[in-house]
Amino acid sequence: MKKRLLLTVLAGLLALPLLIGQAHAQIRIGLMAPLTGSWASEGQAMKQIVDLLAEELNNAGGVLGQKVEIVAEDDAGDPRTAALAAQRLSTRGIVAVIGTYGSSITEASQNIYDENKIVQVATGSTAIRLSEKGLRYFFRTSPRDDEQGLVAANTLKDMEFSKVAILHDNTTYAKGLADEAQSLLKDSDVEIVFFDALTPGERDYSAILSQLRNRAPEVVLFTGYFPEAGLLLRQKKGMGWDVPFIGGDATNNPDLVSIAGKEAAEGFMFLSPPVPQDLGSPEATSFMAAYRAKYNDDPASVWAVLAGDAFNVIVAAIEGSGSTEPDKIAEYLRTGLTDFEGLTGAIAFDDKGDRVGELYRVYKVDGEGRFILQP
Amino acid sequence: MQLFLEQLTNGLAVGGIYALIALGYTMVYGVLKLINFAHGDLFTIGAFLGLTLLLSLGLTDHIGPVAGILVLVLMVMGLVAVIGALLERTAYRPLRTSPRLSAVVSALGASIFFQNAIMLIYGARFRVYPHDLLPTTAISLFGVDIPVMRIVLFAASLVMMAGLYYFVQRTKTGTAIRAAAIDQGAAKLMGIDVNRVIMYVFLIGPALGGAAGMMVGLYYGQINFTMGWVYGLKAFTAAILGGIGNIPGAMLGGLLLGVIEAMGATYISLAWKDAISFMVLILILIFRPTGILGERVADKV
Repeated sequence: MKKRLLLTVLAGLLALPLLIGQAHAQIRIGLMAPLTGSWASEGQAMKQIVDLLAEELNNAGGVLGQKVEIVAEDDAGDPRTAALAAQRLSTRGIVAVIGTYGSSITEASQNIYDENKIVQVATGSTAIRLSEKGLRYFFRTSPRDDEQGLVAANTLKDMEFSKVAILHDNTTYAKGLADEAQSLLKDSDVEIVFFDALTPGERDYSAILSQLRNRAPEVVLFTGYFPEAGLLLRQKKGMGWDVPFIGGDATNNPDLVSIAGKEAAEGFMFLSPPVPQDLGSPEATSFMAAYRAKYNDDPASVWAVLAGDAFNVIVAAIEGSGSTEPDKIAEYLRTGLTDFEGLTGAIAFDDKGDRVGELYRVYKVDGEGRFILQP
Repeated sequence: MQLFLEQLTNGLAVGGIYALIALGYTMVYGVLKLINFAHGDLFTIGAFLGLTLLLSLGLTDHIGPVAGILVLVLMVMGLVAVIGALLERTAYRPLRTSPRLSAVVSALGASIFFQNAIMLIYGARFRVYPHDLLPTTAISLFGVDIPVMRIVLFAASLVMMAGLYYFVQRTKTGTAIRAAAIDQGAAKLMGIDVNRVIMYVFLIGPALGGAAGMMVGLYYGQINFTMGWVYGLKAFTAAILGGIGNIPGAMLGGLLLGVIEAMGATYISLAWKDAISFMVLILILIFRPTGILGERVADKV
């Protein structure tokens, strides 16, 4: 009696996914994002944007006559959780996956998606090696660190600085960017008077600033994240030192200004892919209007917008190739997608799956604490 | 020379904060032989409570910034002291007769609990103290510009440390604390209420830690729920450096650690700054296992 009951229950459980699968005869796209953990604000913004775009698409009739369903998994901004999330997503019938934020987190999931033949479009993963492995199904809408290093070096050269200090924070991203900029600057007449790392998470950086000032650089390139950048600016102002600071894309966060204070943040420059509010293209404008209508705010981070771009290129590839076959989608992304108008400008991919074209812009903080795109 | 002096003041300013937090570790260890791992989070709580009170009471507008901040620091000290006493009552006292490991695990649990509670209440983003609350003037000493607030903060930590030293040395309760630190059983036989003594320890240590948290918030501006980790670790190191359980040791250890960090960053390597500090700690522990000033709270004080 007990055995029969158990068998019935088991049979029911086995049949359940089939029934659900039937009820959802639609295209499923995965989203792997840090919905919890220390990057939760990024992940939640990613989900908001992808949900919004999917809703718009479905209201307009979907793609290939089918509705799109977003299947989200939390990677917690942690490599181990990301591997689990990738494994779970791989079993849920998705044709492609968006994500994720953080190079080391993306790296933990890359091979899992590749083995399962799922197209992955990463959104906030800039480490160079991710696309150097020759994975067929890997793409990213975010730029690479070497491109940022190049733009950083060129910006410094264009502004005719001759003595440059480079400060990083020993994370993979910041160290990589600092190394990249240093090697590019070494070939020119720019002298690097300082190259070292601070410890992130502390509050007092005056010992570092004193030492920097002692080397008398004309400009400081800081490649770390916004909390430390904000404190550096604030403490630099406190000690009455007015050297210009230039930051990498990890300083593109409005909290930078609240930490540093408007006065200390004024004049700070950083490199970043442009946010849609600065582009003025019809795609960016209509997206911004829809986002403001739904969430009553501007998207805070460019990385979340790049998740929206990932969604758009996946849909475009399904539409363009007329198929949900991973090989056809990957092939289309590589060769068929040219000058696709994304939320952050034109998108096309090269052989490795990297985004083609110069994406970085220079931003400057004005007296009101706003981020102004430099011409 | 100028760089040296500048780094000396930088190191002393950070060291003053380390010392203030280290006192909490060292007092608890002196009396209970317990490392209170939740102490760093009490420091964080101080920073957040300070911000909340500052924003909600508007005291600085009513009675001026100096008096307002002074009242707020006292309020924060009082509140964090109560939280510290509650922590002792709920997480440590029931385990007093258990093996020491149980209390250590309980301390780690309390730390995780506090950290998550702060994150859930205040959110994971950085919070910022209002700017322009403190004057930004600097005075010039031997060619080095020192912000006035730094001197004030350093003086404030010295005053608090001196107050504690006086309290432990010269008052009846202080004597009871020292007695309990030597031998709880014997202290009990002499008519000392050991539970009360331990409660005092858990009022004073957290109060100082909370004050340090608010001072860090006021001066550096930026606070978040994980800030107690780095400061807690450094202060704990400072306590060991000076000789854990020893009150002047904690003060000396804190100041010394701040200065070692600043000097190591300047003259050896910035990226290796923390590694250098811990190397110094290891060396001192090898050649003087009880720390610079020795271990016991009562004998040496």
